[in-house]
Order: sequence, then C-alpha cells, then structure tokens
Amino acid sequence: MSKSKQEPKVPITPPEQWVQQYGDYLYGFAMSRLRNPEAASDCVQDTFLAGIKALERFDGSRDIKFWLRGIMRNKIVDQIRKSVKENQVDIEKEDEALLESFWFKYSGIATTNPDPWEFNPRKFYDNGEFWKVFEHCIDQVKNPARQAFVLRVLEDQTTEEVCKVMDINPNYLWVLLHRARGQLKTLLEQNWLNSDDK
Amino acid sequence: MLTCKQVSNALSKEDYEKLPPLRRFFLKLHVKLCVFCGKFNRQVMETQDMCRCYREREEELNEERPKLDEDKKEELRKLLIAQSQDKTG
Repeated sequence: MSKSKQEPKVPITPPEQWVQQYGDYLYGFAMSRLRNPEAASDCVQDTFLAGIKALERFDGSRDIKFWLRGIMRNKIVDQIRKSVKENQVDIEKEDEALLESFWFKYSGIATTNPDPWEFNPRKFYDNGEFWKVFEHCIDQVKNPARQAFVLRVLEDQTTEEVCKVMDINPNYLWVLLHRARGQLKTLLEQNWLNSDDK
Repeated sequence: MLTCKQVSNALSKEDYEKLPPLRRFFLKLHVKLCVFCGKFNRQVMETQDMCRCYREREEELNEERPKLDEDKKEELRKLLIAQSQDKTG
C-alpha cells in the first residue's frame, strides 16, 4: 500500500548526469541573482551537494530540475548573506535623512510624488526583447538595494528573513526597495527608450 | 479604513498577493482615495506586477543567460560521482 506512495511520479535523473542536464540551467539563474561568476558556480555546487544529501526526500511530484531550483533558492540567500558579511550594509546619508523625516515616520511613504513613467511598460509585456532589457536593468541596480530587491521580490523571502540576512531593520529594507524601484525605473527608461526593439 | 502607515506596511512587509480579500479590498480602496498613498503605492504595485511577469518568463530568458564554464562542469561532475558513490557505498 505504502509502496505506491513512495514510487516517484517522475523519473529521477542520477546525480552523475545533473551537471550535464541542469548545470547551465541553474548557473543561469544563479548568475541573474548574484551577478558574480564565482559566487554563482559555488551556488550551483552547493545546490548539487545539498541535492544529493536530500535525494531520499525527493517525492517526485515535480521535475527534479525544479526541485533543485527550489534548493538553490536557499543557496542564493546564503551567498548574499556571505557577501553582505564581507561588505556590511551601511545606511547612506541620504537614506538616513529620509528615515528620520517626519513624513516617513508618520506615513511610511518614501515619496508622495514619484515621477510618472516616460512610457507605459505594460504595453511591452508581450515583447520578449523588453524582458531582456528588464533583466539587464536589474543587473545594473546598485547594491545593497539590488540585493534587497533580489531577496524580497525575486526570491520571495519574507521581510523578517531579508532583514536577518542583510542585518538591517524593516524600515531600512523598505527604503532600499524604494531605491531599487527608482533605479530600475530610470534604467528602464534609458535602456528601453533607446533600444531598437520597441 | 486603513491608515497610510498600515497601507505602506502592508505593501512593504506583507505579501500583497497573500493578503485576505477584505484587507486587500480596503488596501486598494485606500490607494484609490488617498492623495498621498495613491501615486507612491501605484508605483510599488506596478513594479510588483512587472516582476511577476518577469518571473513567469524566466525559463525562456534563462536559455540566453551565461553558461557554466566547461572546466568547472568537469570538476563538478567528478565531485558528484564521488559524492553519490560515497553515499551508496
């Protein structure tokens, strides 16, 4: 009875073939989040090793590729934690003024008057080229705002978790995300409006 | 009705998609009515929306992302063989 329960629904690729089959896939994701080739390949290695250890617990409910991608989420967080430890996040002067302002303390709103978009990004959601430019723009957002953005928005970590990893308080995380959004918007306007693919 | 602070807290600290429907309704209502929150929170929601679309397309984008170095692949392959033999043996 329990035998059929344990039978995996999808075939398990043996670890010897993982590099061949999922190496590039995982590395691509790691690079998009970490931007650093060395950290990204460490991340892939850690993911594979953790995968071998946890293979008994693989339930076969989805492709092993996505299962490994799930494991890699934690490894990406670990790599960012490591990089933050080496390069501590200090609150910049400009951000400090914002955090201390009466308005921010009262409302939690970083700015009531963000500049309107120079173009409507929604129009291009179906355009593959737009997303390539979008990715290129995320790459250029400056740390630590980028790291906060990757953890919170792209890797779906909770606020508490991101604050712990980056050793910052929730208010500052909010300011960093605000900075990331602002930079991303400016970069998109520069890069997309000047591209020939639109 | 929610206060500005509650709205920005909800947008910054909680997962907007996972909020209970009633809370989400009041959140949207506030953002629509409030002069202060309106513009800012619309921007936040826009970015969230954009990132959701981006993530849906990532599998496709991943094919053009950088590839793992061949030497590193070989090194990893050997490591994985050794590790999985260790485990079974």
